[in-house]
Amino acid sequence: MSDFPHAKIPQLIQDLKSGKMHRREFLRFATLLGLSATAAYGLAGGSDPLIGSARAEEMPKGGTIRIGMRCQEIKNPHASDFVERTNVIRQVCEYLTITGQDNITRPYLLEKWEASDDLKTWTITLRSGIKWHDGRPLTADDVVWNLKRVSDPATGSSVLGLFTGYLVENYETGEKDDAGKPKTSSRLWSDKAIEKVDDLTVRLNCFAPQIGVPEHLFHYPMFILDPKENGVFGVGSNGTGPFDLTEYTVGKSGKLTPRKDYWGDGPYIDALEFTDLGDNPSAAISAMASKQVDGLHEADALQINAMKGFDHVAVYDAVTAQTGVARMRQDNKPFDNPKVRLAMKLACDRAKTVGASLMGRGIVAEDHHVAPIHPEYAKLPTVERNVEEAKKLLAEAGFPDGFDTEIVTRPDPAWEINAVQALVEQFKEIGVRATIKSLPGSQYWDVWDKVPFSFTGWGHRPLGVMVLALAYRTGAVWNESGYSNPEFDKLLTEAEGTLDVEKRRAIMDKIETILQQDGPIVQPFWRTTSTVMDKRVKGFQQHPSQYLFANQLAITA
Amino acid sequence: MLRFIAGRLVLLFVTLLAASVVVFSISEFSPGSVARKSLGPYASQEQVESLTKRLKADDPLPLRYVRWLGVLAGVIDDPLQDPATGLDFHDPRGSRYFGNLGYSTLYKMPVNDVIWDRLGNTAILAGLAFAFIIPLSMIFGVLSGMREGSKTDRTLSTLSIVLTSIPEFASSVFLVTLFVILLPLLPGTSPLTESGQWSMASQLILPVAVLVIYDFGYVARMIRISMVEVMEKPYIRTAILKGLSPRRVIMRHALRNAMIAPFTVLLLQVNFLVSGVVVTELVFAYPGFGRMLLEASLFGDITLIEAATLITVTVAVVTQLLGDIGYMLLNPQVRID
Repeated sequence: MSDFPHAKIPQLIQDLKSGKMHRREFLRFATLLGLSATAAYGLAGGSDPLIGSARAEEMPKGGTIRIGMRCQEIKNPHASDFVERTNVIRQVCEYLTITGQDNITRPYLLEKWEASDDLKTWTITLRSGIKWHDGRPLTADDVVWNLKRVSDPATGSSVLGLFTGYLVENYETGEKDDAGKPKTSSRLWSDKAIEKVDDLTVRLNCFAPQIGVPEHLFHYPMFILDPKENGVFGVGSNGTGPFDLTEYTVGKSGKLTPRKDYWGDGPYIDALEFTDLGDNPSAAISAMASKQVDGLHEADALQINAMKGFDHVAVYDAVTAQTGVARMRQDNKPFDNPKVRLAMKLACDRAKTVGASLMGRGIVAEDHHVAPIHPEYAKLPTVERNVEEAKKLLAEAGFPDGFDTEIVTRPDPAWEINAVQALVEQFKEIGVRATIKSLPGSQYWDVWDKVPFSFTGWGHRPLGVMVLALAYRTGAVWNESGYSNPEFDKLLTEAEGTLDVEKRRAIMDKIETILQQDGPIVQPFWRTTSTVMDKRVKGFQQHPSQYLFANQLAITA
Repeated sequence: MLRFIAGRLVLLFVTLLAASVVVFSISEFSPGSVARKSLGPYASQEQVESLTKRLKADDPLPLRYVRWLGVLAGVIDDPLQDPATGLDFHDPRGSRYFGNLGYSTLYKMPVNDVIWDRLGNTAILAGLAFAFIIPLSMIFGVLSGMREGSKTDRTLSTLSIVLTSIPEFASSVFLVTLFVILLPLLPGTSPLTESGQWSMASQLILPVAVLVIYDFGYVARMIRISMVEVMEKPYIRTAILKGLSPRRVIMRHALRNAMIAPFTVLLLQVNFLVSGVVVTELVFAYPGFGRMLLEASLFGDITLIEAATLITVTVAVVTQLLGDIGYMLLNPQVRID
């Protein structure tokens, strides 16, 4: 047993062998508990695809790769809120861990991590010999500084939300706001929460068990920055990554040049450039057509359709846990009635919505926000469309003639508004007359978690429990529907602390059923994210989170 | 003359002040806070409030306006550049100087570092378009106005009307399909970076073409009407009757007089080309002033919007002034002494 980094791993192996655990589930949990991906893949039969993907000697060398992507302001990496920003920073500064295209998390700047049996103490060890671009070795002090910085509310990092509940606690400041309610703030729960052990080792002492720690360390703003630069990023910034940022003009372009002394794979190219093509979807198509860019950050279904005829363009897809949900606030009439919520779900024609809004680039979902690619997913019967039953439920709830309502959404990205339009037509058939209120993105985010009925896009997360904890637990930071169900909360906490696979799947089955029957969301689909690259670009894989790792890329002449 | 120009400069100053007040007040009603937009949807309310405070965005509107004015005049330090805010806003020119347009919350850069580049790019686009619009519209206008109702007139007039009626986004899609997709002769976007085989000059052809196609027909119509009127004047008849060649009649007698009215129209096109090219800039991903202004407005970046307002108002008032002066030079009847 002492050969394994965590006491539960032999049990996982047992479960895998006896067939109680799926291969994918084994890989995910064994690696989270500190088993190396190579070893985990070995046990599960197969080889680590990340190692196989970059065969250095076979990669063409030299050349410039140009990517069409918005060049947003990148000054504060820890507060980055869009993947686009981090795709620039990511080439210079790195994460402690990396979640691959296969959703398996591996150590990156780390050599390894070890979790205590109760999942409350995480010991993370840095790879030795990694140097900053200025020659200074990367140390535990650097890591501690970064982890503490993102935990400070003043930094404005969304990592804070992920750390809340095991490293970060909410507390009352003692002040009152204008309404006379006590103001709350967040802080690390203890001075010892993030603790340096030695020059290469840091210990996270949590007040609650948490299995997702390695994946949180890969959340997009969680860069390890040089403390000397005080959290500010720009041209010439120090980092440990494969490139230097040499030019950057917000709204226009950026240029990165490779480093010869990079500790990891690659880089193979002579330069990486970003070109800002604006928000007009046709500009991206034009730029691909005239080969002004070799690839795009993202391409939607309409763009891909338009580029079908381009011989030099290859399409890359990633099945993700990205989704959009029509969510109903539980504290608002008529959505406070579970029968109404269920009727709305029964009104939804999922396959049709996938076709209408995603042009088929997605799979149907089951109203519980746990995706088939999540390791803890328990298969439930799909909710089939049943207009009669839905009408009956509405009548029982006191709405025999249906009701009028308003659904808030935003015009961009197009798939969101398209999905809302499809759903509104379907709701109409059960007598629910919803008008669409489309707000500009900025205004939308002021009300997204307040209005009675709205449509929200949710990003990909590698574990199902991660998003359940963020969005549906009573009082959680992003609980946009005001959902509060003590039974659900209790089961979720149980699932988060349960490693035994059968027990956990049984719990997940219950959790998903609660959400499907009682929960606040109509969830029509899971999206497939796509992009395009010139066929000359080698080594590219679409990451479910749309992260770009340019050190893996090469281009033929 | 000097008094006239001085009067106009005073008017410019008053207009600028009025426009800046109006824009400031209207932006107040634009939805969403800058702090929320900076931190993104997933930031907590507390994080948003803390940033709002540091950006001093929760101060009352009049206070913020006067502060903005003071920073612009170089009377007070830009409070956002105070290191105590922790915003790390830093202007290499210093925090107090005349013409300090403030700090852009969208670009996280001094407005002076953002706006002039963008304006320069648009000036290139507009200047080139203008250089084609003037001769083309003059040729079209004069040729068709010379003999009203002639075959040439009808052909050219129809062409001008048709071209002017096609919106920019439609003509750009058409041109891109033709010259980028079907016959790959030109680049489809104009990000003004060295991109592949395409030179900077080649990136300008399509956007300039779209602007010229959209705009020149309208100006040509104006010149035509004016030309038609002039051609009916007694002095033209006299010139023809005294046996001057048609060429001399047009060049010597008709043209100058026919250009008086369209001159103002032509100058108005400068205003359009500075702030109205946003569609063309979007379609061709051109990093210009119009696109910047659109993004600043969506974000609520008040300092950038105000700076852009000052520039567009100045351009409008100055072209009007030039128009009046040019009018005087062309037409002795309106000269003021």
